[in-house]
Amino acid sequence: MTAGGVSRLTIRAVVNGRPRELDVPTHALLLDVLRDDLDLKGAKRSCDSQVCGACTVLVDGLAVSACTYLAVEADGRAIVTVEGLADGDALHPIQEAFIEAGAVQCGFCTAGMLLTARALLAENPTPTREQILHSLRGSLCRCTGYRKIVDAMEARHGARVEERPGSAGTRRTFGGEGAMSGPPATPTTPEERPGSAGARRTFGGEGAMSGPPATPTTPEERPGSAGARRTFGGVGAMSGPPLKWIGRSVRRVDALEKVTGRARYVTDLVVPGMLHARVLRSPHAHARLARVDATRARALPGVVAVLTGADLTWCDPYCGPAFRDRPILAIDVARFEGEPVAAVAALDEATAEAALDLIDVDYAPQPAAITLEEALAPGAPLVHTGEPLAGHFADLSSLKPEPGTNVCHRFRFARGDAAAALAGADLVVEDTYRFPAVQHYAMEPHAAVAAWDETGSLTVWASTQNPYSVRVELAKMFGAPLSRIRVVVPHLGGGFGSKTYAKLEPLTAALAHVARRPVRLAISAAEAFQTVRRCSARVAMRVGFRRDGALVAVECDAQYDVGAYADIGPRVVQKATYTATGPYRVPHVALGAAAVYTHTTPGGAFRGFGVPQLAWALESLFDVAADRLGRDPVDLRRDNLLGHGEEFAPGDTPIDGKYEESLGRAAEAIGWTQALAADRGRGVAAMLKASIGPSVSEAIVRLHADGSVTVLASAVEMGQGTRTVLSQIAAEVLAVPLERVTVVPPDTAITPYDQTTSSSRSTTMTGRAVQVAAEDVREQLLRVAADALGLPARDLALEDGAVVSAVQRLTYPEILALRFGMSGGELIGRGVVAPGRSAAPLGGSTPFWEMAVGAAEVSIDEETGAVKVERYVSVADVGRAVNPLVLEGQDEGGVVQGLGHTLLEEMVYTDGHLVNGTLLLYRVPRADDVPALACRFVENADGAGPFGAKGAGEGSLIPVSPAVANALARLTGVRLRDLPLTPERVWRALRARKDPETHAGEPS
Amino acid sequence: MLRPFALHRPGTAEEACALLATLGEDAAPYAGGTELLLLMKLGLLRPRHLVDVKRLAGFDVITDGGSLTLGAAVTHRAVERSPLVAARCPLVAAVARHVANVRVRNVGTVGGNLAFADPHSDLATLFLTLDAIVQLVSPRGRRELALADFTRGAWETARAADELLASVRLTPWPQGTAAVYVKFGVHERPTLGVALALVLDASRARVTEARVAVGCVDPRPVRVPSVEARLRGVAVPELEDVAGAIGELAAAAVEPDDDLHGSADYKREMVAVFVRRALRIAAGRARGASTPIPQFPHAVIA
Repeated sequence: MTAGGVSRLTIRAVVNGRPRELDVPTHALLLDVLRDDLDLKGAKRSCDSQVCGACTVLVDGLAVSACTYLAVEADGRAIVTVEGLADGDALHPIQEAFIEAGAVQCGFCTAGMLLTARALLAENPTPTREQILHSLRGSLCRCTGYRKIVDAMEARHGARVEERPGSAGTRRTFGGEGAMSGPPATPTTPEERPGSAGARRTFGGEGAMSGPPATPTTPEERPGSAGARRTFGGVGAMSGPPLKWIGRSVRRVDALEKVTGRARYVTDLVVPGMLHARVLRSPHAHARLARVDATRARALPGVVAVLTGADLTWCDPYCGPAFRDRPILAIDVARFEGEPVAAVAALDEATAEAALDLIDVDYAPQPAAITLEEALAPGAPLVHTGEPLAGHFADLSSLKPEPGTNVCHRFRFARGDAAAALAGADLVVEDTYRFPAVQHYAMEPHAAVAAWDETGSLTVWASTQNPYSVRVELAKMFGAPLSRIRVVVPHLGGGFGSKTYAKLEPLTAALAHVARRPVRLAISAAEAFQTVRRCSARVAMRVGFRRDGALVAVECDAQYDVGAYADIGPRVVQKATYTATGPYRVPHVALGAAAVYTHTTPGGAFRGFGVPQLAWALESLFDVAADRLGRDPVDLRRDNLLGHGEEFAPGDTPIDGKYEESLGRAAEAIGWTQALAADRGRGVAAMLKASIGPSVSEAIVRLHADGSVTVLASAVEMGQGTRTVLSQIAAEVLAVPLERVTVVPPDTAITPYDQTTSSSRSTTMTGRAVQVAAEDVREQLLRVAADALGLPARDLALEDGAVVSAVQRLTYPEILALRFGMSGGELIGRGVVAPGRSAAPLGGSTPFWEMAVGAAEVSIDEETGAVKVERYVSVADVGRAVNPLVLEGQDEGGVVQGLGHTLLEEMVYTDGHLVNGTLLLYRVPRADDVPALACRFVENADGAGPFGAKGAGEGSLIPVSPAVANALARLTGVRLRDLPLTPERVWRALRARKDPETHAGEPS
Repeated sequence: MLRPFALHRPGTAEEACALLATLGEDAAPYAGGTELLLLMKLGLLRPRHLVDVKRLAGFDVITDGGSLTLGAAVTHRAVERSPLVAARCPLVAAVARHVANVRVRNVGTVGGNLAFADPHSDLATLFLTLDAIVQLVSPRGRRELALADFTRGAWETARAADELLASVRLTPWPQGTAAVYVKFGVHERPTLGVALALVLDASRARVTEARVAVGCVDPRPVRVPSVEARLRGVAVPELEDVAGAIGELAAAAVEPDDDLHGSADYKREMVAVFVRRALRIAAGRARGASTPIPQFPHAVIA
């Protein structure tokens, strides 16, 4: 013991059963030592404040937050990380349970959840549900909705999985041959297989989405057109030939790597020689940068590069998908609190952090417009004064800002004469609804690693949902051909829209360029609050009905707060407003919306893409109208639902599902007509959302000499299970076991173009491209086999890795040997799905409509205003569930994320500052917030995707707010118009109802 | 990420205090680190020396000598599982089970919690009703302070820079006291905490003395003498009759501000609601009622 203390210590710890001796600085956190020194990357950094549990490890059997625990405390102790849970190849039972229950999605929370579970179960092998929820009080998950995690911990998963449709039963072992490939549910004859000619006629192959070739298609062939609908799937296809892989709840193909901590995310990557970056951010909502002087920072030993906005003369510093209005670093002016002003790349993160303190910035604070009202007021401070450049999408070229105002884009859509129809309506209900700015909180904060090589090629490993959009941005900014920009995407720890379009990639690439070394930039969860958020909105809506309940007109005037930079906000506004009328038949519409700049974090894509904001208004007003008309809310909706095949708008895809079935099943499941306890209320809401059109997905399927299959596609695995779904599709078409299929993660140098992993499109579009590519391989196999056997191809079918006729059988290796005359070579199939532009109002038809209905049962603590959602039912019309368990998990997560903005979440600004921009202060749903939850599907195989599937995953979230508010209104008579329904807000509304005189005019 | 610091591991409290005296503002006592390291990571605190107090003799023990003494370095987990605490102050063990989350409880300490004086904390509120006395040691010797005097405001205590919080002494309620702790709020940390204890006469028919504290609403938790006075002498069956009145009294005794946890008037009203509810639960416990404790959304009842 010296008066000076020690700054380093040698510690001895047993890590995952192995004695270790480590010399560590006293300020080293256990998480960093495990991840960086021991290469144990399973523990993750997410909230960095002991709230989320992603960094959980066990120290002498007790769970600790490794992010806030000194490594020196591990001295003399036993550490267990997720890598140490399994005994060699034998998984720990809790790992098995997580896989079986479907408790693994993006995987970023998984290690922490597993270790928390293990610590609990070690002390208490048979915990009650209350004890499980109590143990999960400090464990957040943003994907799963927690239900399957709790199921796994209850170890009742076996029974549940077997109950599920599409399940092949439980398998307790992992990794053995055939473990993922149980026998087909029913024996099939070759003629019945989907690979057979008969099946091809049913499931498409000739239609527009089934290129190659990628030649322009005629309108009749478009997937949205009536002709295409006849080609694809069609009602009744569910009764077609039995499928081996489609429709089965097979284990996720990435489950094993995720439960063992081996799955790699961008933050886990180490590129030799890479530097570490940190970002200096503006403390002001709006400020002129009078001086940015990095002289002292540049002089700090270990600092390799410092960038400021003024340094960015050698590249085009602006980016943005809608408008190229966002500089890599603030140039002359900072437009929101947290805007990057300078960045440092240094030998280590600590040096980079220290250098930030040495950058001298003189800010001249300016008046700021934080709210929509402030931004739209006459004489408001302008966020942008110059004309922004158009973004990089041709289909967004129609977007136009209004000079001299903060309106960055205005969208209008009209049909009929809404004003006259409203004037003549028997009932007009109208009100203004507000939706808050909320944060995605994907548990993995954004990260990127960028490296330039000596030839001027750039590689970026990025946590992005659309590598190809990032590639376009980087190519434009750095003046490089697309072929020289390579964007690689490993696993994503959740996205939800936050990782669409360029985020950190341009800055990281610019730093790497200046530093002439690879650079890694991994931001914190708190910085994610300063990166992107959901567009908040104010929606004024008028809805007219005839006395008989027929909806005659909808008028909508919405303003979306898109923050300081447009990002994809204008597109959010345009696309959502187009469907503001929801799933209803409305003859007269006048829909208008403005995207409005404010001096706040940029608003962008977030699950639902602008639709939740409008559905909140429309679906609430629907119940107001039902009340006024004396109609049952379910009946009133049913009367007005668009029918299957009915036109939504001229030129766009007709409705491709059966809403009445979803509505009926939701009503039945919640017990709509059943007696209800006096202290409960029930509510229902529906949604309609378009996916992206025009839209492109391409895929390559390679059949190798040994009969195994590689799928090249660029759909990003972010927890939704796309790798598993694409594997199932390829395995189905090529009749091979699932474990013989490998899906290569997106890499723009290797995997072909895919527009984006968003808009619920991957199963439909990328999946269809994989199906087409696999069918291309199948045709080649059949051709070679037909020649060899002297039989017409129509007499042949694919079965268990072979082409078979009634009497003969040629395995794939045999066929490839015949084709190439040697044991080598491969068959390559190509799939292109490119519906192209159409006469639809937005310029492209949606490839499918996302359709769902939600129903809630709530109770209220009247004295506190706390709303409790007791039960919730979601029914989504998915065409066909390729993997029911994965889809169910996704929809459960959607409902719970919806409960977040319904009851809890809101980014709060006070005096121009975001006051709850950390997970300590921004509350997302926890396991104990989850109601009794049932997510169900309507499956009529009528989707445009493979085997009649269509997109899902956003639909479950959208009805949550209005369903809950409608239930609350039916219970209490109080109608709330502002989200979230915090206890205080509800309490105030209840008080105003009881005592309207005293509390009149209070905000609700 | 933490900035570099020197770690000191003194063997005795005297050495620790000497270090703190020498190093002055540059040093911070360090126990579980659940609050300290968090603030250091955020750059809000930048001590260049940490003085580890976990290993100091007596700092991690729980002793019973008429009163119950919790060493400053005793973890929440240890409190939750201590047979001594369960026997002498069962509500303290029950509340410890609900502090923050399991990881914080495994590492975080009683002393750290009190010394940080986070206004949204459970222990200080509950301890006020146990007439908690904190022991401080320094090169000048030992002193004792009532917890009410030790906690001066939000993140503010009477601890001098060279002083260490060594332990906290709780005066257990008489056997049979009917008590409850209720916390409420949607946020990570509680919006409101109410500790209420009814000391009963031998026949459990009448309240001889009451202790009530409200936390998280004001910058520091407060005892509510007006409520305690109103409850004194009330017959158990008549407690329900005073529930409304004591709620109002408690609401009048707090001075909340508008903040992220809610508007002042809402918080004041919630004080009334939860003091009433706490009383009803405690009254039920006084009657030995076997009816289940009601559940309220976003509320934890210990």
